[in-house]
Amino acid sequence: MKLTGPLERVLRVLVADPTMPHYGYDLMKAARLPSGTLYPMLARLQQEGLVDSQWEDPRPDAGGRPPRKYYQLTAEGVRVARLELARAPAARGMTRHVAARPAHGTPGSAR
Amino acid sequence: MSGTRLVQLAAERLIGAACRRLPADVRAERYREWTAELPAILDDESIRPSWLRGLRALAFSAGISRATRQLRRSARAGSRHTRNSPWRAGALRARVNSLAARLAVGLGAYLVAVAVTVTVMSARPDPRGWPFLLLVALGIGFDVFCLADIARARQVRYLPKWIWALICLIQLPLGGILYLCIGRIGPAPAVLPEDTRA
Repeated sequence: MKLTGPLERVLRVLVADPTMPHYGYDLMKAARLPSGTLYPMLARLQQEGLVDSQWEDPRPDAGGRPPRKYYQLTAEGVRVARLELARAPAARGMTRHVAARPAHGTPGSAR
Repeated sequence: MSGTRLVQLAAERLIGAACRRLPADVRAERYREWTAELPAILDDESIRPSWLRGLRALAFSAGISRATRQLRRSARAGSRHTRNSPWRAGALRARVNSLAARLAVGLGAYLVAVAVTVTVMSARPDPRGWPFLLLVALGIGFDVFCLADIARARQVRYLPKWIWALICLIQLPLGGILYLCIGRIGPAPAVLPEDTRA
């Protein structure tokens, strides 16, 4: 799996709270991605078993709103996402992120 | 009918059209998933002014169109799926593989086009009659089809894309026929770059 910019943004949103399911538009807003990028990516992640989806139960209080499909990282997805994201800043030269969130065993003055 | 409702209907139509590219077994579910996002966009209070929500919903549908194209491509790479529409697969891409055979088909098509044009022009020389206009419309339609095909193609054979486009434009029936017979590669290759990386 190659960590591209958009993929990194989606993973960051999903991994921020792995137990919270997101629906598509929610993810689009949070990761600031257009639908044309997001959905193929979700499909790929799902194929690789990193993301799981489920339909929301029809709720009477939804005001006639059609049920949504929610996406969530699988256990394997959480593991892979954390691993990839931890490697990402160093590989992409994003030193600001390293400074803000030092990984274990990294000196705080990693710049 | 309110404007929002109208936009929602239009966006649903767009999504429906995009979903036709998907295999039949996932089409209905995808359609339900994506149309269910529309109310969320149209009721999104954080988008201001309110008419922007309609635009966002339409942009969402346009993105879905791109998404289904991508999904279709990766599905095709994964397994040799039969395509939904024979037209999209390239009905004009005759199922002949040797260059000579393709050229013969092209020549035949060109002769037919010339014969039709000559017959129509000699029978009805009036340049404002409907047969003439029909021919012009056909010519323009054919050119647009060829240009669109060149624009969508991942790759074309022998010449750069822009030269093929020029040929199609300059030599009205022949250029397009030549492109379809010689320059067109057809559907995307089985393995795509984004799927080859592990």
